[in-house]
Amino acid sequence: MAAPFTLRKIGVPPNSANLTEARRRVFDFFRAACRSIPTIMDIYNLQDIVAPSQLRYAISAQIRNNAHITDPKVIDLLIFKGMEELTDIVDHAKQRHHIIGQYVVGEGLVQNTGNKDQGKTDFLKNFYTSNYF
Amino acid sequence: MVMEKPQPWLMRLPPSTAHEWRRSIDHPQNPQHIQPPRTNQRVQKDPEACLHKRRLPDPNTAPPEPDKIKGRETEKRRTVTPNPQRRVLTTRGTTAPSEGTRRCTTGYSGVHNKIEKYTHTKKKKKKKKKTIQIHNAMGLGFLASRTIRPASRLLQSHNSNFFLRTIVSKPELQSPESAAVSEPEPPTQILPPRNPVGGARVHFSNPEDAIEVFVDGYAVKVPKGFTVLQACEVAGVDIPRFCYHSRLSIAGNCRMCLVEVEKSPKPVASCAMPALPGMKIKTDTPIAKKAREGVMEFLLMNHPLDCPICDQGGECDLQDQSMAFGSDRGRFTEMKRSVVDKNLGPLVKTVMTRCIQCTRCVRFASEVAGVQDLGILGRGSGEEIGTYVEKLMTSELSGNVIDICPVGALTSKPFAFKARNWELKATETIDVSDAVGSNIRVDSRGPEVMRIIPRLNEDINEEWISDKTRFCYDGLKRQRLSDPMIRDSDGRFKAVSWRDALAVVGDIIHQVKPDEIVGVAGQLSDAESMMVLKDFVNRMGSDNVWCEGTAAGVDADLRYSYLMNTSISGLENADLFLLIGTQPRVEAAMVNARICKTVRASNAKVGYVGPPAEFNYDCKHLGTGPDTLKEIAEGRHPFCAALKNAKNPAIIVGAGLFNRTDKNAILSSVESIAQANNVVRPDWNGLNFLLQYAAQAAALDLGLIQQSAKALESAKFVYLMGADDVDVDKIPKDAFVVYQGHHGDKAVYRANVILPASAFTEKEGTYENTEGFTQQTVPAVPTVGDARDDWKIVRALSEVSGVKLPYNSIEGVRSRIKSVAPNLVHTDEREPAAFGPSLKPECKETMGTTPFQAVVENFYMTNSITRASKIMAQCSAVLLKK
Repeated sequence: MAAPFTLRKIGVPPNSANLTEARRRVFDFFRAACRSIPTIMDIYNLQDIVAPSQLRYAISAQIRNNAHITDPKVIDLLIFKGMEELTDIVDHAKQRHHIIGQYVVGEGLVQNTGNKDQGKTDFLKNFYTSNYF
Repeated sequence: MVMEKPQPWLMRLPPSTAHEWRRSIDHPQNPQHIQPPRTNQRVQKDPEACLHKRRLPDPNTAPPEPDKIKGRETEKRRTVTPNPQRRVLTTRGTTAPSEGTRRCTTGYSGVHNKIEKYTHTKKKKKKKKKTIQIHNAMGLGFLASRTIRPASRLLQSHNSNFFLRTIVSKPELQSPESAAVSEPEPPTQILPPRNPVGGARVHFSNPEDAIEVFVDGYAVKVPKGFTVLQACEVAGVDIPRFCYHSRLSIAGNCRMCLVEVEKSPKPVASCAMPALPGMKIKTDTPIAKKAREGVMEFLLMNHPLDCPICDQGGECDLQDQSMAFGSDRGRFTEMKRSVVDKNLGPLVKTVMTRCIQCTRCVRFASEVAGVQDLGILGRGSGEEIGTYVEKLMTSELSGNVIDICPVGALTSKPFAFKARNWELKATETIDVSDAVGSNIRVDSRGPEVMRIIPRLNEDINEEWISDKTRFCYDGLKRQRLSDPMIRDSDGRFKAVSWRDALAVVGDIIHQVKPDEIVGVAGQLSDAESMMVLKDFVNRMGSDNVWCEGTAAGVDADLRYSYLMNTSISGLENADLFLLIGTQPRVEAAMVNARICKTVRASNAKVGYVGPPAEFNYDCKHLGTGPDTLKEIAEGRHPFCAALKNAKNPAIIVGAGLFNRTDKNAILSSVESIAQANNVVRPDWNGLNFLLQYAAQAAALDLGLIQQSAKALESAKFVYLMGADDVDVDKIPKDAFVVYQGHHGDKAVYRANVILPASAFTEKEGTYENTEGFTQQTVPAVPTVGDARDDWKIVRALSEVSGVKLPYNSIEGVRSRIKSVAPNLVHTDEREPAAFGPSLKPECKETMGTTPFQAVVENFYMTNSITRASKIMAQCSAVLLKK
């Protein structure tokens, strides 16, 4: 299914020259995502579950998770993947339970795990992830 | 065509292919024969033009001087400590020469390939080169032995001994007088240096007594009692054999090792014939090759066509040697005989039809294992190997016959039909089921350990491992802890994340007083985790951290008081053993095997003080308790005379005595015995202590000793790191117990928090064996579930508890260990004890009267892995003597 025309022009050619351009692309992506929120709520019937501001919060949290990255190429790739995900959602290629499970922040659902590990050493972070580091 | 009278023992197969024709006795490139006219050959008719293919030695240059010829380096002395991973070739005696495990069949493929090059056929047959699995059993020496075999080199060497034969027959060759004329001396050539097979080192017990023999034209110096086969091994020639094994007595019944010796009327069995000075041995002549083909044909006549269903396929000596040395077709058209299978127990699977009656298992059982269970019944083609009576093989070394058997007659029953050897990944690691630290090779497929095989180590376990070591691997798959768990208020365990588990433990540990914190390391713990545990507990303010098996009051100040001071290989030089409170057969089967070997080789006497036990060598039961010790110490016992007359007495004290209350008195009386009989001398230290667990020696080196006997009873926080033998009833009811381990064994049921750790096959850990030899395990399979390495868990816990330890990598832990016990960092080295008994203060206590107890009731179930193993359960049900 074709993506709506709002999304067409945000296709990311993978060649941001510098960090500023990458930042601009990130914000463009965020704007496009926020503009598609009403469509998403309509497609998946999320009106009673979640408010648009919560969805915006979820998107911005995910972007903020990668706020520490400085390499433009990496940022480009992340935006590409974000666009992929957004296109999938808007195309109705996902289903309601996916959206609820992945993006609706509530009890027992997606939690913001970015803050817990701030003060810990690399050793502990690696230890929690896996045995091999 | 001139044909000599056909020798009866040379079976001439009709040459059916040109390939065969090449190998038969009539081929022109085999010397001294005249070629019949042939039709299809690419060789040019012009005799002179053929010579360009071979560069004859230039007669103008002088042959090089002998001292410049490298390779005669067998007498070079080694100045470094000999590497126990390399085999030792010695004359038969107490130190029997060693051979690699039978999977090391190396040079065979070389012969097969080189012969191919010289076939002159119209169409090139595509012969598939048989790939022989390279097992990393022998290390670099293995690669050395895979160099081109000298036989083939001669065929393609440029300055060959044999001048190229032309097609034309000369009159001189036809007349008998010319045969009497001796051949002109071949020019001396620089032969490339040769290394002994498998990188073995040759042990000259008497360097003046070395003799020189010639193997395929190559001169080697060998010690006096060597056999022809051993001399060929030194020269780098691997002679095929089935019945010969370097650690067993010589049988000479397979006849596969036949080689040609000059001036001998028939080929000799090289495994049995002693090498005499000046002997010229030829291993690649047509006679030798014909003999091998013949023997192979005979062996295969009655051998069933079981390769697809036989477990030995892929690592079978018969397969390899028939490919390399056998002929490609047989002539047997009758019915093959079959033999009924024998039941030898739950460990050894027998398919006796495949047996080739090499008698290796019979000799192993009677010599190395010391039990005369197996024997040959019948004669001729009706020969059977069996126990005659319906008897199971109950010896603790019975699994080694699986390695020894060259065919698939004796295989591993738990491993039957599970995997082929080429799909397994081999990892060389160390066994931790007892304090010996046998070298093993773990064969794994993916995340699963499929089997365990011994590795060669001359100093510790030679080529054998005990049944417990060999078959405990299926315990690694059962009862594994894979997720951190916390016990709920209703008493059931709930799986939680690592964050929560460590947070809970970190909270509670701050609520108890420092003296009430107790840490106990288990019997399978490696040195790194014990170091980190001790550091953590000490930083929390407590001194109560010890290892299982060391009761209160054991001090680790002097290393001689808990190590085997005669090393395990040094026990071979002893001529008298006094075993006090130890049953080596169940405590350390490899030490027992060494004692058995010594007793068998030099008729050493053995005296034993302790509860009645089974021994597989002649042993005098002197008494059961400390009273006997007192008698020996005072000289009243009849055994004292033997003790005084012994040149190298060895006293072995079991570590089970460390748990007694009168331990100091017993040890001082042992030391007085040692002093009275000159057991501890500068050149021979015969006072030995046999530890029970793999972690004990490292623990005592690191200082994990129990300061007070009441520590456990007054504890409020108990950290059990794999400690299952701790008396759980002694822990107070309100204590908070953390269990960190890999199996849900006994202590888990008392725990409040479970932290899953990795087992010895999944981690890289340092272990010190009972003689002070430090070794490292290597991870063979990935950890189960969410488990972590032991030391990482304690380090993470320390950080969560606020007492962050200063290291965060394994190198950091090891440098910390280096500052405490540097011998634990020098892997593969033995650090002997520095001081002797003279430094110990006098002991004033008196000995009790309770007799010594047996330390191990069930040989097959001593640690958490073996208790979880189904095979071990079967063994203890069936094989233990009631």
